[in-house]
Amino acid sequence: MRIIGWICWRWKMGIIWKFFFCCCFIVVTLSIYGDCLSLEDCILKSYFSKNEVLTDSSFQDLLQDELSKFSCKLLPGDPNPQLTLSGLERRLIGEGSHRHLSSTIQLQVPPQSFPLQSCKLVMIERLPSGVFADPFELDHLFHHGAYAGIGVFGDTNLELPSVSSNRSAVEIHMNFEHSISSGAMSELGIRIDLPLHARYAPLHESGYSEVAFGTPDLLVSCSMEGSSGMRSCLIVPSHDSNRLRTDVVWKIPCGIMSHTNVVSVVTFATAFVSTLVIVFASVLYPKPR
Amino acid sequence: MTAKAPMNLRRLLIGSAVFRLALILYGEWQDAHMEVRYTDVDYLVFSDAASLMASGSSPYKRTTYRYSPLLAFLLLPNSVLHRSWGKFIFSASDLLVGYFIYKILKQRKVAEDLCLYSVMVWLLNPFTFTIGTRGNCEPIVCAMILWILICLMNGKIIQAAVWYGLVVHFRIYPIIYSLPIILVLNPRKSNAHRPSSQSGMEASTRYNLWTAAKSMFSKERVLFGLVSGGIFFLCTGLFFHLYQWEFLNEALLYHLTRADPRHNFSVYFYHIYLQYGRQLSLVEKLISFLPQSIVQLVLISTFAQDLPFCFFLQTVAFVAFNKVITAQYFVWFFCLLPLILPWSDMKLKWEGLGCVGLWMGAQLHWLLWGYLLEFKGQNVFLQLWMASLVFLLANASVMAVFIRLQRFSPIFLQIKVSDSKSGVKSQ
Repeated sequence: MRIIGWICWRWKMGIIWKFFFCCCFIVVTLSIYGDCLSLEDCILKSYFSKNEVLTDSSFQDLLQDELSKFSCKLLPGDPNPQLTLSGLERRLIGEGSHRHLSSTIQLQVPPQSFPLQSCKLVMIERLPSGVFADPFELDHLFHHGAYAGIGVFGDTNLELPSVSSNRSAVEIHMNFEHSISSGAMSELGIRIDLPLHARYAPLHESGYSEVAFGTPDLLVSCSMEGSSGMRSCLIVPSHDSNRLRTDVVWKIPCGIMSHTNVVSVVTFATAFVSTLVIVFASVLYPKPR
Repeated sequence: MTAKAPMNLRRLLIGSAVFRLALILYGEWQDAHMEVRYTDVDYLVFSDAASLMASGSSPYKRTTYRYSPLLAFLLLPNSVLHRSWGKFIFSASDLLVGYFIYKILKQRKVAEDLCLYSVMVWLLNPFTFTIGTRGNCEPIVCAMILWILICLMNGKIIQAAVWYGLVVHFRIYPIIYSLPIILVLNPRKSNAHRPSSQSGMEASTRYNLWTAAKSMFSKERVLFGLVSGGIFFLCTGLFFHLYQWEFLNEALLYHLTRADPRHNFSVYFYHIYLQYGRQLSLVEKLISFLPQSIVQLVLISTFAQDLPFCFFLQTVAFVAFNKVITAQYFVWFFCLLPLILPWSDMKLKWEGLGCVGLWMGAQLHWLLWGYLLEFKGQNVFLQLWMASLVFLLANASVMAVFIRLQRFSPIFLQIKVSDSKSGVKSQ
């Protein structure tokens, strides 16, 4: 640990890198991996340490708190460093109960001097009720290098139908392909694939339940030189809503209420017929005396 | 296995072992290089639970770990030696089942070639060799069940009782074998029908009832019940002391109350989904319980003396009428099938192939609709449910064919003697 601390001090790495490096030696828990192990690095961890259930309004409140606490302004009166979300396209890939939610993100960094280092994209996907992410599957993907860090929070029970489960959320950290450097305009494209699974939906006469995904929360987390050394900070990229294509709807097959009586009667009738078949075969069995 | 085991059995076991080793190695390669894992998801659950136990934590901190802590204990070397340690244990149990099948059939005086064919039915079954090498723990349970049969056949009541208590703690479902074991332990007939010139009818009736009551609570039965019950409660008590309600809820109560609304082979899945969240009435609960209970009681009362055949039928029925059926349950009766084949009059053509075709066909039919629901997102709940009805009827039909073509062969022959004591010997 002394060697790790020396390396971190020597390279003047921010808190993010120190924890990321240290995480290599920490046994990961079941639902959070990579650089998402500290409160400062994982917004959802901070949220779920104070709340049991995910609600959009309370999450937005916490996000505003985090943004003001971890502002990237050098001085209080300074403007925030500008980043623009120039495009966001979302698609649901696959069929059936197991699909991938693909998000393609375009970021623009202005060419003026940019004091920030070691930035990464933070995407928070507040999953609608009716779908869930499998922490163990994400662990497998994380160890194959798909993400820099990932955390699954909330109701991660894989087995419950949606009427008996609460919402969950996933926080994904992705390193940029090109580092942001001063004096050069960067157009960054990042694609994030998140495997998701459908829960058993509430009954509906149409036979399908529709689950709509909202817009993910996109932030950029960077390291900056502060008065007391390196610290992490958060930026919300500005965006033009018209350029964002975020409508994603997942149609999940569900049971039909009007089947209930027929299914119950025929199920028990079949069970009894099968019972009679076995009972008669046994009774008629010619056992020798 | 002794050095005197016949060469063909040895070759069969060695060949099976080499093949399983190759599959385990292939599984490691596939897990590392392909997105779809060879290893069963359950094996990862066991391994994680074993790691937690190794670090001093409760194995139940791992979600979906619903087994005895003994399993996590068995897999502790996964964290220390190699992550495939458990697969080697399960595959070794799989081979042990093959050896036990041979041993049981040999003791029942079955011809050598028939013994080997029966062993092949287990060892060369694709379902069997994939289940152990993928990391499923059912072969351990199968090996324990067959060992209990061997102990009973050799009159080792206490040993049988110890293993029986352990296996019920481990997996619960073998509790269905308790009644036939008790019945077969002391098959002495009542001596009430001896002519008695002095006593009247009333006295004779009292003597029948008294003798029947005495034979019901014979020394062997009481011993078996006390020892197996004692082992079960000892294990339960010990692990409750260590892991509290987490153990009881996950390892015991979950299995007793499980009603999964998600699609599975059971006829009840769609009914459970449609009724999910609604409190069922007592009548509804009883109705769902009745078919299973009736079938089990009828099978036990008819076939208990032919213990392997009784176990086989009971297990098929238990799985078929259960509220949740997953493919791993099939191995529970696959290990018993070779024990009954030598006494079956079923010809491969066309009764045998017909049964295999009917059972596999019903399963494949269900899988087709399951695929359309789960992987194509089509609403085929009704068709899938009907496929599960067909599967239940197929199971019942196959059972009826097996019953019709099975020669009754009690595991113990009763020696009829003229004095008051009756004795037993192995067949």
